[in-house]
Amino acid sequence: MKEKIINIITEIASDSGWEIVANLNDDTVLLESGLDSLGFAILVARLEEELLLDPFTMMDEPVYPRTLGEFVKIYENCSS
Amino acid sequence: MKIIIVTGATRGLGLAVARQCIADGYKVVAVGRTMTEELAFLLQQYSECIDFERYDFSDTEGIHLFAVQITKKYGRPWGLVNNAAIGRDGVLATLHERDIADLIKINIEAPILLTKYILRPMLINRCGRIINVSSIIATSGFNGLSVYGATKAALAGFTKSLAREVGKAGITVNTLAPGYMETDMTSALQGDRLESVRRRSPLGHLATVEDAAYAVSYLLSEQSSRVTGTTITVDAGSSC
Repeated sequence: MKEKIINIITEIASDSGWEIVANLNDDTVLLESGLDSLGFAILVARLEEELLLDPFTMMDEPVYPRTLGEFVKIYENCSS
Repeated sequence: MKIIIVTGATRGLGLAVARQCIADGYKVVAVGRTMTEELAFLLQQYSECIDFERYDFSDTEGIHLFAVQITKKYGRPWGLVNNAAIGRDGVLATLHERDIADLIKINIEAPILLTKYILRPMLINRCGRIINVSSIIATSGFNGLSVYGATKAALAGFTKSLAREVGKAGITVNTLAPGYMETDMTSALQGDRLESVRRRSPLGHLATVEDAAYAVSYLLSEQSSRVTGTTITVDAGSSC
């Protein structure tokens, strides 16, 4: 899941001409990764289309992950 | 064929927009609560260019799934025309709370949720058109339509901020503000009140649903790629 997410982030950044920080890891703060809020909206849209799930819509309470690790965990929990 | 989703497409303005979209070469997904004779006729005439999807936007909880299914069935849409709405005529002091809640749910919450989910495939495509159907009532006001007017003003406000959010993804978001037209929605305005609106128009007549549909046609077109966050008023000049 983590690899898939990082691949999509890289693709989105490349399509948009955005520069992504080197060495994306669990502690990378999402909004400091090089993707802006629109980029993350595109990421969520891509993941929904590929995985057929949107964990954020399925949650009872709103959750806004801060780091890449938190973001990946949400998708891992939801797809398991 | 580019896909356009038109809500409230079974009659009035939505039906006219659907008809115009077919003429413009789009494939239309016409969404509505109940089939009408007019829409059935259109489906029969242009079966390759239009499909009907039944949905009642008072069911806001089902909108996510509905949007996902539409995208899966027809592909990523090019345009969304948020036209479905209800109109309840009545002074605020006596308008039932249930009617107020329904107006807010169907005229504001539902189009916002539908846009949220139909926007996603547009974000992936990095292009798209969103048109929110407001009303001149949003800015001019009208006795007995305070809540309806509030919902239409909300949509115009929604347009402006969303246009800023998604502009970088090549998606435009605009508002159509029709004036009084002779549709089922304005049936409460028939008679003297409608005649008074007609008299006040500089052109001496009301706009038609076809006039408004032409404006939608422009906003959906490639030629409008540099028009976003704005309102096109189609009211035969009555609010000028």
